[in-house]
Amino acid sequence: MERRSALKTMAGAVGGLISLPAWATGWTPETVSLSRQFFSPQQEAVLAALTETIIPKTDTPGARELNVYQFIQKVVADCYDKASQTKFQKGLDTADELAKKSFGKSFSEGEPAQQAAVLTQMSQSGDPDLKAFYSMVKGLTIKGYLNSEYVMTNLTNFQFMPGHYYGCVPVPAKTGTKSD
Amino acid sequence: MSYFNIDAQAQNTYDAIVIGSGISGGWSAKELTGKGLRTLVLERGRDVRHITDYPTTMTQPWEFEHRGQLTHEMKEANPIISRCYAFYEGTHQFFVKDAEHPYVQEKPFDWIRGYQVGGKSLMWARQTQRWSDFDFDGPARDGFAVDWPIRYADLAPWYSYVERFAGITGNKDGLPNLPDGEFLPPHEWNCVEKHFQKEVAKRYKDRHVIMGRAAHITQPQPIHFQQGRAQCQHRTICERGCPFGGYFSSNASTIPWAAKTGKLTLRPNSVVHSIIYDEQKGKATGVRVVDTETKQMKEYYARIIFLNAAALNSNLVLLNSTSRRFPNGLGNDSGTLGKYVAFHNYRAGISAEFDGNLDSTTDGRRPNSPYIPRFRNLYKQETDFLRGYAAGFTAGRATKTNQEGFGADLKNNLLNPTLGGWHVGSHMMGETIPKESSYVALDSNLKDPFGIPQLKINIGYDDNDDKMVKDYQEQMTEMFTAAGFTNIRLRDDHRNPGLDIHEMGGVRMGKDPKTSMLNKWNQLHAVKNVFVTDGASMTSTSTQNPSLTYMAMSARSADYAVKEMKKGLL
Ligand SMILES: Cc1cc2nc3c(=O)[nH]c(=O)nc-3n(C[C@H](O)[C@H](O)[C@H](O)COP(=O)(O)OP(=O)(O)OC[C@H]3O[C@@H](n4cnc5c(N)ncnc54)[C@H](O)[C@@H]3O)c2cc1C
Ligand code: SF4
Repeated sequence: MERRSALKTMAGAVGGLISLPAWATGWTPETVSLSRQFFSPQQEAVLAALTETIIPKTDTPGARELNVYQFIQKVVADCYDKASQTKFQKGLDTADELAKKSFGKSFSEGEPAQQAAVLTQMSQSGDPDLKAFYSMVKGLTIKGYLNSEYVMTNLTNFQFMPGHYYGCVPVPAKTGTKSD
Repeated sequence: MSYFNIDAQAQNTYDAIVIGSGISGGWSAKELTGKGLRTLVLERGRDVRHITDYPTTMTQPWEFEHRGQLTHEMKEANPIISRCYAFYEGTHQFFVKDAEHPYVQEKPFDWIRGYQVGGKSLMWARQTQRWSDFDFDGPARDGFAVDWPIRYADLAPWYSYVERFAGITGNKDGLPNLPDGEFLPPHEWNCVEKHFQKEVAKRYKDRHVIMGRAAHITQPQPIHFQQGRAQCQHRTICERGCPFGGYFSSNASTIPWAAKTGKLTLRPNSVVHSIIYDEQKGKATGVRVVDTETKQMKEYYARIIFLNAAALNSNLVLLNSTSRRFPNGLGNDSGTLGKYVAFHNYRAGISAEFDGNLDSTTDGRRPNSPYIPRFRNLYKQETDFLRGYAAGFTAGRATKTNQEGFGADLKNNLLNPTLGGWHVGSHMMGETIPKESSYVALDSNLKDPFGIPQLKINIGYDDNDDKMVKDYQEQMTEMFTAAGFTNIRLRDDHRNPGLDIHEMGGVRMGKDPKTSMLNKWNQLHAVKNVFVTDGASMTSTSTQNPSLTYMAMSARSADYAVKEMKKGLL
């Protein structure tokens, strides 16, 4: 009873900054096969492009290559209530409309710089629904990315079975340094 | 009686029947079979075999369809069980779903159950503290319940006995209010927990922060290897079932041990409807069972019966066992059956930050945490509420990532988290007072899917609980402040009773048959061959997690029952 509630307390205490330990979550493309198509092909394409804009390919794969959009689709379809699902779908459509207005193409067909501009516009939007959609899609993209098999096994040092608990070790150099 | 019936009766006759295969039933079964009794264990749920029936125990995090999250459908359909912190995508198979087993909430009560071989021993959080004489003396001293018919000395050898077999990790702390046990090496502290321990010790003579005592094998002994169990690997996903048998469960420990004797018959999918009382003989002769697959009623017979269906279900079985002699439930001469139910209060919590010890952190995971034994009203009644509370405590550092913006910068930030500061947290575990007005009873109309009356639950908080919550928050704030913790936040989630999963009472022990159901051997005063050794038997609830006490009581009562049987007294 103790441990998890304490973790939740800790996570709660600092809002979005702290995530639960990575081992508590995670997914792989094979596990997210959809039982039914939830988004239209157009919406799905927009979602895939959005995730890639949020976490692009660099010297490691980006969100699109890791099929993060599939994971998001699954979670939205299965874990969200009707109202949030509708909001999410509307958000995808709005993103596409904004893209058409600003560069005359579907969001998924834009250049990275054009897509980024639309995303910036969304993040600063005065429309609360659009802003909420932006943080929802961004949050899910981050979650999906960090908890994918690829990232957990190749880029973070996830261990299923640590076999130990050491209470006081020096802060390791990598995570100890500030990123800026 | 025709020949056929006699045949059937012989076939369905055992030396002993145990109702329920959870923490207490597993122990009853182990002890009774170990002493040579042909024992039938009746379990309403399905069979769950060690390792092979833990479907998610090796599931990698990314293999969960929804990364552990419950689906909307599951949550909608299960508002009660969804509130339990341990219910998630990896564990839902072990919890009773709301619709499957209905009950009536006269007052809101979140009844958290596991109906399967192993009961809740599969998903429990494994905290195991002994009771002390402060707990057993308490009711007599401050008069809130009847006097316990036993004292710590009666249980102490049995605590040792079950601890050695189950495997309990802990530190010998020498505290009168929390007796030491037979411990395997304790888990490690982290530096902030140590810091808190020191700061508290500096300021308060009577308050202690100790390492939790938990049913984990930190260093296997021969007796654990003989059970086929191995050292705990610190995976901390115990509630999915542990393939190493690293923690104690009926499935990994007592049930297979009982099976090895060749004396055990385990019958899953068998809901006990009631206990059969024979007026001529003046004792119980067997039980009626509804087979969940055929929905047919069958009878099984035995010389002694151990009722271990978990607290409220044991009440239900007795309430439903009526006869001319006992029209209000088996053994209910006192009229107390179903009454004086109490629970633990986990409503309140506190969290804070600490900016010391920033040069160190933790490595690995620990399936346990420090514990603050009860310090209120121990030596004298010092507050305006009765009894007290224990508390959990943990400290940890989580990683922090800058999640601003998007694009390559965001990605880089995500892959290079920094270490956040220390966070500390605690939650209360308060004793509630058993009152006559806190009761369970049978609903006169509503039946469950097996034709058994539904349980009606009427249990609530009172003033005493509110005062205790307030005191916990004040005292912890004082202690946290003294330790230099900052940004202190208090929580009172007003959760429904029941969610703490430590409901107790209704078939309480006592010296006087006029005011209690069971004697000092957990034996019905009025029906000597029926024993109740789960939480239903608890006269008061103390603040310690209760299951270790159920184990000790089950082993002790089984030992007594077999001795009495051999003397021809049962
Ligand atoms: C998430 C969680 C965390 C917990 N943490 C702790 C902890 O840290 N420390 C602690 O001490 N306790 C803890 N508990 C509580 C602990 O699990 C229970 O106290 C303990 O399991 C009770 O043992 P029991 O034998 O009475 O009941 P159970 O283990 O629940 O077993 C009862 C069995 O009886 C069966 N049954 C019920 N009715 C019938 C019937 N009519 N016929 C046949 N069979 C029947 C049930 O299906 C079940 O298998 C926790 C529980 C949960 C769920
Ligand atoms: S922490 Fe220990 S007991 Fe729990 S699952 Fe892991 S190995 Fe098993």
